[in-house]
Amino acid sequence: MNIAAFALLATTIAIYVVLDGYDLGVATVAPLVARGAAQRAAAMESIGPFWNGNEVWLIAAGGLLFALFPRAYASAFSGFYLPFTVVLWLLMFRGISLELRNHLASDLWRGFWDTAFTGASALLAVLFGVALGNLVRGLPLGANGYFLGRFAFLLNPYALGVGIFALLALAQHGLAFLTLRTDGELAERSRRLLARLWWGVLLLYCATTLASLDLRSGTTAEAPMRLAPMVVLSLVALGAVHWFTRSGKPGPAFAASSLFLASLVLAAAITMYPYLLPAFPAGSGGIDVTNAGTGALGTARTLALTLPGLAAVVTYSIFVLRRMRGDQKSTSAR
Amino acid sequence: MGSAVVADRIQFAFTVMFHYLFPIATIGLAPFIAWFAWRAARGDDEVARRASVFWTKIFAINFAVGVVTGIPMEFAFGTNWAPFSARAGAVIGQPLAMEGVYAFFLESVFLGIMLYGRHRVSPRLYAWSATLVGIGSWLSGFFIVATDAWMQHPVGYRMASDGTIRLVDIGALLFSPFAWWQYAHVLVGALVAGSFIVAGVGAYYLLAERNIEDGRRYVRLGVVVALVASALVIFPTGDRNSADVTKYQPIKLAAMEGLFHSTNGAPLAIIGMPDTQRRELIDPVVVPNVLSFLAYGNFTANVKGLTGYADTLWPPVALTYYAYHVMVGLGTIFIAVAALAVLLLWRGRLTSFRPLLWVLMLAMPFPYIANEAGWVVSEVGRQPWVIYGVMRTADAASTNVAAGETIFTLIGYVGMYFLLGLLFMLFVLREIGLGPNVATHATQEAEV
Ligand code: HDD
Ligand code: HEM
Ligand code: HEM
Repeated sequence: MNIAAFALLATTIAIYVVLDGYDLGVATVAPLVARGAAQRAAAMESIGPFWNGNEVWLIAAGGLLFALFPRAYASAFSGFYLPFTVVLWLLMFRGISLELRNHLASDLWRGFWDTAFTGASALLAVLFGVALGNLVRGLPLGANGYFLGRFAFLLNPYALGVGIFALLALAQHGLAFLTLRTDGELAERSRRLLARLWWGVLLLYCATTLASLDLRSGTTAEAPMRLAPMVVLSLVALGAVHWFTRSGKPGPAFAASSLFLASLVLAAAITMYPYLLPAFPAGSGGIDVTNAGTGALGTARTLALTLPGLAAVVTYSIFVLRRMRGDQKSTSAR
Repeated sequence: MGSAVVADRIQFAFTVMFHYLFPIATIGLAPFIAWFAWRAARGDDEVARRASVFWTKIFAINFAVGVVTGIPMEFAFGTNWAPFSARAGAVIGQPLAMEGVYAFFLESVFLGIMLYGRHRVSPRLYAWSATLVGIGSWLSGFFIVATDAWMQHPVGYRMASDGTIRLVDIGALLFSPFAWWQYAHVLVGALVAGSFIVAGVGAYYLLAERNIEDGRRYVRLGVVVALVASALVIFPTGDRNSADVTKYQPIKLAAMEGLFHSTNGAPLAIIGMPDTQRRELIDPVVVPNVLSFLAYGNFTANVKGLTGYADTLWPPVALTYYAYHVMVGLGTIFIAVAALAVLLLWRGRLTSFRPLLWVLMLAMPFPYIANEAGWVVSEVGRQPWVIYGVMRTADAASTNVAAGETIFTLIGYVGMYFLLGLLFMLFVLREIGLGPNVATHATQEAEV
């Protein structure tokens, strides 16, 4: 039961990263590939109808964490009070800038909000990476499970490295999305940048993977073994991104990039299991699926009450995505 | 009570009251938009087609601000109320998770169609989307109110040996009569706001002598719905809420009514200032025996006053009392205004009777005030409990977050919400100024 709950949470977060990842990525790379007002509008509109629905996956993940593992929810968010509030503010700022840019037809106004949107999104990508890095690395937890360290503890080289890696990986994802959902100059420029950025992603992927293995090697001997299939999957997916980009197949390239991101999140989850908040240094316990959970009955009920809903969400999201297909192509062509 | 708790309470009250301003409008406007969209889908109703697009723009601005201000709320229980979450999360996390899964997705996914797909999908699919967005916002209200209702009147739970609270019966939580009456009251309260907005904007167009045809439709539809909703807000829903409070939270009732001493045949105070030092209501204007009747259906029943309870169990009396009187007073005025308007409508004079149009236009902010005041009654009146009778607010606030940190983020929220509020007003007023007869939203322009 605990494994199922943990898996549902990890899957929800993986879906969040794949979905919100592309709109964070598009926002990050937009100034690099979109020239002129029309292309910028096309880039923004490619994510306009979807970003909010994507972000709900984060809210759903928060709700599921709350319902399934209340102690982890309480400890994580109060422990990271200030950094987490900053994340919330960035999310708010980002949400509002995309909405506001369309309300005044002035270049100055739009330029301001587009920059705000890009800045907040890029920063979020980095912060999500830093957060993930610290989760994998472990946190100093007090006896009652509340985070003890200070801000500076979170800014270690490993976590910062994961942060930069997250930025590049999401940028790659955004470029793949733009290549797929826009056309003309914008799509072409995205494709070319994607082909070049890919090498950076590959390099950082190798570096962070080695660092992660090193981090864990002393304590959990089985971790590298558990991780091996995920590493292979990530490498295959990353290779496929390159292959399909080179051969001009944007759809499969985007799918491969999605798979790549999902495999990263799942790899992190596998490393951490059974801990939700592993203590630092690795191997010294932490908040895990048992002591943070609500018992088998509570967990089973939450799963029974939310899984049908999530299945429905996936179904109608795909329906809407299909109905709205082709929207942006025709817009940017005009 | 430590200063950290006070800071957390101020922050929660401020952020949630600001957030709630926007759901009021989305919940209240959603049925109107769906109505117009279905009329438009039948093909020949040009005013309805314009109305569905126009009100969707107003809705979208409200929705966007509602979403961004809702995100911190979802996590506020973890950041600021960690001990509360750790203890009660197994219960209240459940409806909150369901809200995300069943309500928020529905709203945001189909709003995408409404905002960006109007020219891509058939009018019927558009109308369906409007309906689903509306259902999403109503469901979201339900789950959140059910959460709150459980904290007001906990049911279906048991205490585990480690002190945490476990949910035994989710059905008891979701189908608690307390929750359903509270929800019904919240919904019609939002509908009062929505109908006064529709009527008020229509009245503005008629007064300004532009968009006359649209203005007439809005005023007519608005005042009829306003009358029905204003009546429902008092009876049966407001009445049933009072009955539940009487039964489960008698101290709150005493504070709401400013009743200090237990009385047989207790009077209903219309005006008066509660003084907790002298323990009496100063300069009261009362209607004898009516409170006993409202609370127990009997003119001579005994109603227990505040002094019947230890004063450590009192909520802040003055705030509860004034908020309650503001809500009820405004509710009475809404009925009067709506009834007069419907009477004139029936006589065929409403849309040309300018004084009442002025009243309708200027009435728009007041349902917001009534709704917020109602929440103050309900939330401040339940103090000192965060979960009634189970957990005190003083024990609920995060112990590992210092008061200074909370004050720092509170200042951040105040600043941000001030700007957000300004921009919101600017753009809503701008859309209203542009009116239903233009295609303005840049994204929609790009599509045409
Ligand atoms: C347009 C808004 C509006 C209006 C005119 C009224 N209310 Fe109300 N009231 C609300 C909007 C509202 C609300 C915002 O929806 C509240 C806050 C919490 C809740 O459950 O509903 C509320 C709460 C609330 C409570 C507290 C419930 C609790 O503590 O759990 C009571 C007893 C009443 N109402 C009763 C009334 C009565 C007798 C009214 C007669 C005129 C009335 N309300 C008018
Ligand atoms: C329906 C979901 C809601 C839940 C679960 C909820 C829960 C809470 C919690 C946990 C607190 C802090 C602890 C306390 O002070 O008791 C609180 C306080 C408060 N809430 Fe609510 N609330 C909800 C809705 C609202 C809304 C919509 C409003 C107003 C628009 C509101 C107004 C307040 C106020 C004013 C306080 C401060 C009371 C005080 O501390 O004196 N609440 N609520
Ligand atoms: C403390 C309590 C509350 C929490 C934790 C909360 C949480 C949230 C969150 C996370 C969102 C954004 C969802 C999205 O991205 O689509 C949101 C929006 C919304 N909330 Fe709240 N909320 C609270 C109080 C309320 C209350 C009392 C109501 C209504 C009675 C309400 C109704 C809505 C609605 C209808 C939306 C959709 C956006 C909108 O229409 O403005 N919320 N809320």
